Amino acid sequence: MSEISFPIKDLTRRKYQTGLTILGLTICTSATLFLVIFGSNLGFEIAFLTVGGRLTSGFSNIFSRFILVVGLLNILAGAFITSFLVYLTMSERVRDIGVMKAAGCLSGSILGYFITELSILVFLSCIAGTIFGIGAYYLSINLLNALGFSVSQALSLWAVFLVFLILILVSHIFGALPIIKAAKVKPAEALSPLYSLGTTFELGRAVPSKLGFTFKVAYRSLVRRKSATGQAIICLAVVLTLTTVTIAGGMIANQTTTNYVERAIGRDVVLVGHPNLTERYVNLLSQFFETKEMESIDYLDPDFLNISESLVLKLSNIPGVRKVDPRLVLEASVLEIPGIIPDPDDPNEALVIGDSRSDEALILGVKPEVVVNEWLIMGRIFGKADQRSTIIGDSLALKMFDDPQNQSIKVRAHTFEETFDIVGVCLDPLNNGKVVYAPLNALSTELGQPGYNLLFLKIDPSERSQVLAEIENEISGKNLELVELNEVLGRHVSFVNHIWSFVMFLPLFSLVTATLCLLSYLMLSIAGQQREFGIMRALGARPRSIMKIIFTQALLITLISGAIGISVGLFVTFVFLIPEPVVSQYTLVSVAGWLLLTLGLLCLSSLYPAMKAVKKSVVGAIYSV
Amino acid sequence: MKEKVVLASSLCKQYQIGSLTIEAVKNLDLEIEKGEFVSIYGPSGAGKTTLLNLIGGLDKPTSGKVVVFGHDLGTYDEDFLATFRCAYVGFVFQSYNLISTLTAIENVAFAVELAGWPRERIGKRSENLLKLVGLEHRANHFPAQLSGGEQQRVAFARALANDPPLLLADEPTGNLDVETGLEIVRILEKMKAEGKTVIITTHDERILELANRTLRLHDGRIMDTNE
Repeated sequence: MSEISFPIKDLTRRKYQTGLTILGLTICTSATLFLVIFGSNLGFEIAFLTVGGRLTSGFSNIFSRFILVVGLLNILAGAFITSFLVYLTMSERVRDIGVMKAAGCLSGSILGYFITELSILVFLSCIAGTIFGIGAYYLSINLLNALGFSVSQALSLWAVFLVFLILILVSHIFGALPIIKAAKVKPAEALSPLYSLGTTFELGRAVPSKLGFTFKVAYRSLVRRKSATGQAIICLAVVLTLTTVTIAGGMIANQTTTNYVERAIGRDVVLVGHPNLTERYVNLLSQFFETKEMESIDYLDPDFLNISESLVLKLSNIPGVRKVDPRLVLEASVLEIPGIIPDPDDPNEALVIGDSRSDEALILGVKPEVVVNEWLIMGRIFGKADQRSTIIGDSLALKMFDDPQNQSIKVRAHTFEETFDIVGVCLDPLNNGKVVYAPLNALSTELGQPGYNLLFLKIDPSERSQVLAEIENEISGKNLELVELNEVLGRHVSFVNHIWSFVMFLPLFSLVTATLCLLSYLMLSIAGQQREFGIMRALGARPRSIMKIIFTQALLITLISGAIGISVGLFVTFVFLIPEPVVSQYTLVSVAGWLLLTLGLLCLSSLYPAMKAVKKSVVGAIYSV
Repeated sequence: MKEKVVLASSLCKQYQIGSLTIEAVKNLDLEIEKGEFVSIYGPSGAGKTTLLNLIGGLDKPTSGKVVVFGHDLGTYDEDFLATFRCAYVGFVFQSYNLISTLTAIENVAFAVELAGWPRERIGKRSENLLKLVGLEHRANHFPAQLSGGEQQRVAFARALANDPPLLLADEPTGNLDVETGLEIVRILEKMKAEGKTVIITTHDERILELANRTLRLHDGRIMDTNE
């Protein structure tokens, strides 16, 4: 028989096992692909492609780290699942291999047959997974757009090709291992009715008899199939690590990024300014979730600088206004000023850092004592007397500076050119994080513009309508407009939540994959124990006693792999993914609840093979081969 | 008049293998009284194992009736049949069929535990039964560590664990050499002496000689009865 016709006939004859393997691999491929292309489109391109896109670098870092870790785990899970499913297939084929060898078939030919089978399975799964992954991607993008966001439908074909290639390669490498092992079995061993690939006569440590026969039989059966059990545990642990990272990481990252946005924009903040300028500011703030073309504007136009000191005073006297934050805002060029740091190799020597990079940024002159934002992620806010200090946005810090806190920034606008020392970095969605906060006094003096062009008011939410009415009253007739930033904040939060909610589909993929692994293992285990289950029933064991044994096996495997997977997943989440998480008690309870639900569902899935096992007649079970 | 332990009337069992229908037991009538030692023999495929399975409640008849200890086994569900087997029947199979993950003593104790004996009595009972078959020194060995004869003796101990009134043995010496088979014959002699009802399928002359009654089965029917 040719090397192609045998594998094809063999695969079609074993429809169930073939279908299971293809399903498992397809899920892994589609999940990995979806994650990578969905992620790269939203601007958080993986690893080295991090910089760029529409999110600020701070947000991008969290997303890209998440994508990178989950993507790698997906590939790893795909590899282990391939290896495990191929192993299960091979453990059922050892007898066939024995017969083939006894009939004179060379090990090389046997290896060729089964590697061809593996290639067929891997290619079919990767093609199906790619189709499903791209389908899920377009579905998610269209859903986001239907919800009012403007996300491009562009598809990164390189990412698709790369994921496809990696999964093909990894699946072949991991899948070939059990084939090579099975092909090496001696014909006499393979033909022996006592031999089963990966089983042992060792039955582990003595189990306390008080735990009863259900536990004893379940535990010893797992130990006996130690190779398959070990592989099932590794496989499930990887999938559960992935599930934990996506559930815990996703939920915590969602809360952390939402919190960043809330702190950056501020809750219950009202913006007052010339209508053209408030519109401009809102557009700059909305760059985060909606790209808009903007024409150039002269921020220092006398029409825009119409917020007088007396108006500021009047507004601050309105009951319910908690804070008044006047600002002078303009766009300007910024230039990196090199800094000097101690040489890490020789502390006595100094090292010059910086590359004189330049960019365009939004400059905001602020009074540090009344700033409504709480967006610092590094360093400190400048003091009242700090006339030459500045805080810069995260994107600017990442793109233009090697060590921002040891460097300075030069701001050039109109006739003004001034150098500021960077004392802090903030995570700000405004203008995609390309912002420079400078002392208002210094900026006003240098520009010769004593006025303000924007005013931020933090108000008491319980007196909202009354306060707004009073503000409206004060600004009427002055060509000023009032904009509530809560609505913009709501859209930001909603955008972040939507992104994470799509990412949170991944645990579903993981759960299906984990269930497939567990079911495959249990099917193998039940097939091996079917005869013994028949004997137990002949002796008087009720069907539910057999179900209890199978359920206990599933429980043991789930608990062991769950303990490993969840521990590793939480470690990865808190150490690599979100080192400084913002976590509420509610989030922790939710994470724990979801993880427990996952483990519970996984255990419950074992009821299907258990019910299938006891449906077989006693006689059929006893005389099953 | 002695109590009728087994009462089969017009008993039929058919198996469907694809489009092929196999009649393993055909219109069979049989009565077995309490304390009888009945041997069934016949060629391979005669329906011996099927008949034992029907009497033991492992399988249900296609038509006809099999009443054992007053229970019409064809009418009960799987849960009841499990309880029935646990209480009334001890099984011994040709290929021993011990549970590979349990030691010799645990295999015996498993059957006792199913009957719901108190934990403290299970151990004692299992030890006594292993002593009865001469295997007390092999109590903590797994089936794979025992010889064929030893495994079959454990299987007998397990079958007797709940002190069942009916023992069904399917060619218990079929896989054993002459010497080891003799050990099994001795156990069967003990059971006969104790007055247990034993139904056994066998080709072993020594067992056939022990029987009060021998039935020759051929093509699903009883051809001869010798008392």
